[in-house]
Amino acid sequence: MDKTDHAAYGFREMDELAARQSPVHSLHPLAKLITTFVYIFVTVSFHRYDLSGLIVMVLYPALMFTVSGIPVSTCFYKLRFVLPLVLAVGLFNPFFDREPLLTIGSLGISGGMISMTTLMLKGIFCLTASFLLAATTPMDSVCAALRKIRVPGMIVTLLLLTYRYISVMLEELSVMTTAYKLRAPGQKGIRYNAWGSFLGQLLLRTMDRGQELFESMQLRGFQGEFWYADVKKARMTDYLFTVVTVTLFVLCRRFSIAVLTGSLVTGGAV
Amino acid sequence: MIRFEQVSCEYEKGKKALDALNFEITEGESVGLIGANGAGKSTLMKALLGLLPHTGKITVDGLMVSGTNLKEIRKKTGLVLQNSDNQMFMPTVYEDMMFGLLNYGMSREEADKRVDEVLGQLGIKELKNQYNHKMSGGEKRMAAIAVVLAMNPETILMDEPTSALDPCNRRIVIRTICSLTQTRLIASHDLDLILDTCSRVILLSGGKIAADGPAQEILRDRELLEANRMELPLCLSGGYGTAHMNGLRGHSQFEDGTAGAGSEVSPISP
Amino acid sequence: MHMADALLSPGVAATMYVLSGTAAGISVARLKKDEDTQKLPVMAVTAALVFAGQMINYTIPGTGSSGHLCGGMMLSALLGPFAGFLSMIVILTIQCLFFADGGLLALGANCWNMAFYGCFVGYFLIWRPIMQSRIGAKMEKKAAGRFKVILASVLGCIVTLQLGAFSVVLETSLSGITELPFGAFCGLMQPIHLAIGLVEGLITAAVLVFVFESRPELLQEADFRADGVTGKGSLRSTVVTLAVVTVFVGGALSLFASGSPDGLEWALFGNKEAGYSENMALDEENFGVESSAADTAASIQEKTAFLPDYAFSNSDSAAGTTVSGIVGSALVAAVAAAICLIGRFFRKKTVHG
Repeated sequence: MDKTDHAAYGFREMDELAARQSPVHSLHPLAKLITTFVYIFVTVSFHRYDLSGLIVMVLYPALMFTVSGIPVSTCFYKLRFVLPLVLAVGLFNPFFDREPLLTIGSLGISGGMISMTTLMLKGIFCLTASFLLAATTPMDSVCAALRKIRVPGMIVTLLLLTYRYISVMLEELSVMTTAYKLRAPGQKGIRYNAWGSFLGQLLLRTMDRGQELFESMQLRGFQGEFWYADVKKARMTDYLFTVVTVTLFVLCRRFSIAVLTGSLVTGGAV
Repeated sequence: MIRFEQVSCEYEKGKKALDALNFEITEGESVGLIGANGAGKSTLMKALLGLLPHTGKITVDGLMVSGTNLKEIRKKTGLVLQNSDNQMFMPTVYEDMMFGLLNYGMSREEADKRVDEVLGQLGIKELKNQYNHKMSGGEKRMAAIAVVLAMNPETILMDEPTSALDPCNRRIVIRTICSLTQTRLIASHDLDLILDTCSRVILLSGGKIAADGPAQEILRDRELLEANRMELPLCLSGGYGTAHMNGLRGHSQFEDGTAGAGSEVSPISP
Repeated sequence: MHMADALLSPGVAATMYVLSGTAAGISVARLKKDEDTQKLPVMAVTAALVFAGQMINYTIPGTGSSGHLCGGMMLSALLGPFAGFLSMIVILTIQCLFFADGGLLALGANCWNMAFYGCFVGYFLIWRPIMQSRIGAKMEKKAAGRFKVILASVLGCIVTLQLGAFSVVLETSLSGITELPFGAFCGLMQPIHLAIGLVEGLITAAVLVFVFESRPELLQEADFRADGVTGKGSLRSTVVTLAVVTVFVGGALSLFASGSPDGLEWALFGNKEAGYSENMALDEENFGVESSAADTAASIQEKTAFLPDYAFSNSDSAAGTTVSGIVGSALVAAVAAAICLIGRFFRKKTVHG
């Protein structure tokens, strides 16, 4: 399958996940947006050696996956190209930071090992949190939420329109790539002599299309401001969700929950 | 009522896309606009909606097409574009239909009602929350018609309403057009479609009116059509089987569901 | 070149959000002032095309590999810097949400690294001066135009990508996340992006030359039909551009030359007693020009951290909490697993019921 097809498939997949029904899906988009942001913010703020503090943050994605019914496997399958990149950056740490931070038995664990692990965990947690937001919130709701927090209408409109036309463009390019491949068997990509005309042709057509689009918008009374269909009012649950999660995140950051529970179990050896 | 008086249009200096057109379309009339590629069909429609500068006088219900009247005229006149993707720029059909209604100042409740009404009239209620980029070509075209109908226009302009549709979807669209009571102006190369849906035909050639008269007359005039780089409709030239001769009497082929109006393809099959 | 959330500290991320947000605000204001709402649909479809165009593989002649398009330079050449910047932001946002390229928190930084340089620096310091200059005045008009488009595209892509890559290094180092020394990181990033920039520049040039030849009016500052070769401010702006480019390339190269091998070696094998943290501190001071920015970022970071780095200043206390930490972490993991299991159990029940 072609890369454009892959991308188009990825889009459709996210749309379908977002169109499902679950308590998480029905939350107000703004509540999810804020929570996700605070979650990521708190997650990355953990110190690079604070592994035991960071580990608690796994509970949020775990809970969200469970309640929303989004399969964990889908998430990691989608992230398979991105995750290695995030993980790779941490790989240097053990080489540079070799001071042993703690010893378990005769095994010394260096600071670099710990910071590598926290870095990787942070990467995974943040990606899953963003994924959960996108997978449980349709794009138009995200846009409505952005408009609510006063992101300029022009940017939100642009986001909505671009999102709408990406699938159209992917389809056109996919057809063109097929046409190219059929006449150029064995070539992996576009040869240099067609670099310009391949995308250029479509570019010219696209800009004309933009003009027609504008006409079509004018015909239906467009005057620079969009109307969003999503006017869902925030319910009590939404406020509750936001307040509770944000408080919990801050608490997790302030107190090392893992250490506390651990010391309760082991008899208070803090 | 639409009236053109000495209307000319030019894209580049000296190249007239429309050349001194004079005609009148009365209320409730269904007019076919035919002509070879580049004859000026789309230009005529754009000029009528004030999207292109023109000389001469175009009036819609006595209103001059210019400046401050444009909003009123565009509200009264709906245009179904040839490319449904350019017509529908919002993520879902519902939002797309709401877009125009809200822009023209309808309240949300009223608009909601109107959307359901139109979707019911066209028999495509199940498309309401469908994503625009996920529909098939036929569904898109029906949705585009719904988007325009929602505005409750007095006149409907259609640019190639059946291009790139399979025969079954084509028949559905034809039946829909026939069921409309508004004034209609339909531009198409599909002369069978024109024969099925229009009582009068305007034949354009090089920006001028080559003929204007009853559809049955003009579409049977082989010499006239061939002089203007067109051919007789298939059903009149004998290229079609007798089943399609029924098309002449309207659209009776639907009632008995001939040619297996596929239920899985057609959004409005009984 | 997308940055991940995990590579940024909250302070740096917030700073970058503010910077990119300001640039976006200015762009919106400018477009509103020029009443360019008509541009909106064109911006959207062009952005969508560039997004899709990034998926295409371009074979690089003579090698087995392929290049891609990034788009900042191309969008600003087609739409102008302000509209181009907004389009790039939108592309980056969609990439972040749908393809997990870069994170939500890193979006501000990514917009800066990839959109700001490509659109503003690339446009005002490279594209416009070159397009307006008298370069190639002796050539035939069309050929001169083509030459200028190629020169501006290639130069623009290389310079803006270098700036972007440098920012990535700077932001990561300021965040204090990776242990890779600044110099070594630079030595790694800059040359790679020199190559990427060159390829991207050539692809951009190819596309823009095609546009130039078929519809020059679509390119910013490239419509020579009306008044022939425009020459306003040509000499000065060309000199400025070349100066910027020279300083920049020179700086990057010298950084590479001095920092790369020694830095790595030094950090890996030398100076063991001093420990790593001091090396980092040294590097941060060496930023010189950027020190005020570094300070700001650091102070923001301090304020935003709920918990200053307690317990980790000396490793003893860290080890002290270790036992409870490990036990607690195990419990957390168990709870997470339980949540998943319970969820599955209930789901099965509802399916059967």
